Amino acid sequence: MTIASTSPYKLASAQDLFALTKPRVMSLVIFTAICGLLSAPGSIHPVIGFTAILAISLGAGASAALNQWYEHDVDAVMKRTANRPLPAGRMDRETALHFGIGLAVFSVVLMGLAVNWLSAGVLAFSIFFYAVVYTIWLKRSTPQNIVIGGAAGAFPPVIGWAAVTGDITLMPILLFAIIFFWTPPHFWALALFVNSDYSKAGIPMMPVVAGRQSTRRQIAVYSLILAACAIAPFMFGMTGVVYGTVAIVLSTAFAFLSFRVALSKTEDPKKMKAEKHLFSFSIIYLFALFGALIADRIILL
Amino acid sequence: MSKIDPDTKPMSPEEQKAYQARQKHRAAIMAGLLFFLVVLFYLITFVKINGSAS
Repeated sequence: MTIASTSPYKLASAQDLFALTKPRVMSLVIFTAICGLLSAPGSIHPVIGFTAILAISLGAGASAALNQWYEHDVDAVMKRTANRPLPAGRMDRETALHFGIGLAVFSVVLMGLAVNWLSAGVLAFSIFFYAVVYTIWLKRSTPQNIVIGGAAGAFPPVIGWAAVTGDITLMPILLFAIIFFWTPPHFWALALFVNSDYSKAGIPMMPVVAGRQSTRRQIAVYSLILAACAIAPFMFGMTGVVYGTVAIVLSTAFAFLSFRVALSKTEDPKKMKAEKHLFSFSIIYLFALFGALIADRIILL
Repeated sequence: MSKIDPDTKPMSPEEQKAYQARQKHRAAIMAGLLFFLVVLFYLITFVKINGSAS
């Protein structure tokens, strides 16, 4: 494995520092955090609400920077990640580490001072969970890595909710559960057709360790748990008909696509249409579900 | 930023120019971010003081 050497005079560009925060992943974090914030009962001053979302985004960026600091060797052997600032040699590891820690501390202190210390505490825990528990500890040692990583990605709506209410009730826990149970089918569908890249990097992804058929069965099981979690807020009377209808229709479609994957026997990644459909649909699913949550809240107001 | 090894060759004029341009660009962005934070902290303080007064 070769990692491009960094010139001693290399100064990381602002674009590379920004790329270190994984802006595309951050967009989903921002979206789900806004949904958590807007669906919470009560109100928040727009300036404080904006600050909460900013702190959550910076926290997510810090997690991503620390993740890339630790995973520079793995990123170097995967085609998808080889051009990131660290494996490409455009930045040294020390810069990434300092940037990640600095951003993490700043985001938590900003959240605590401007919003409240409960949301700051959850934000700090989510950064620790992603950078240490997921990236350093479990990602390379268990095929359940994606399930654990899903928990890290599920915190933003909880933090958004806590920013408004100052507490954590059943509803934010259900929002957490939706993202948590959505993550394995979403990533395993991707891992099924980019399998070779993960095996090359030595990451124990489920299709590599347990085999494709076992992964497909697990995707189907997770889709049912996801449906139960997604419909639960409506069943408990916490949301209105708009969310309820969207949740029922989309979760049924998600389960249908997942079971199509479970019945597929294809070994050739190029022929994995069911897996590719599920992966694409899973992105639309999450955006639409959380979008419906906001729509529902606006209508109820 | 990495420490510079004393045995390392000095930069060529082109490299130096590119390095300084990058430094300038980063400094400009940092100035913009600091200005944004000054405004944000001013607004947060304003909201907090107003909140505790009411």
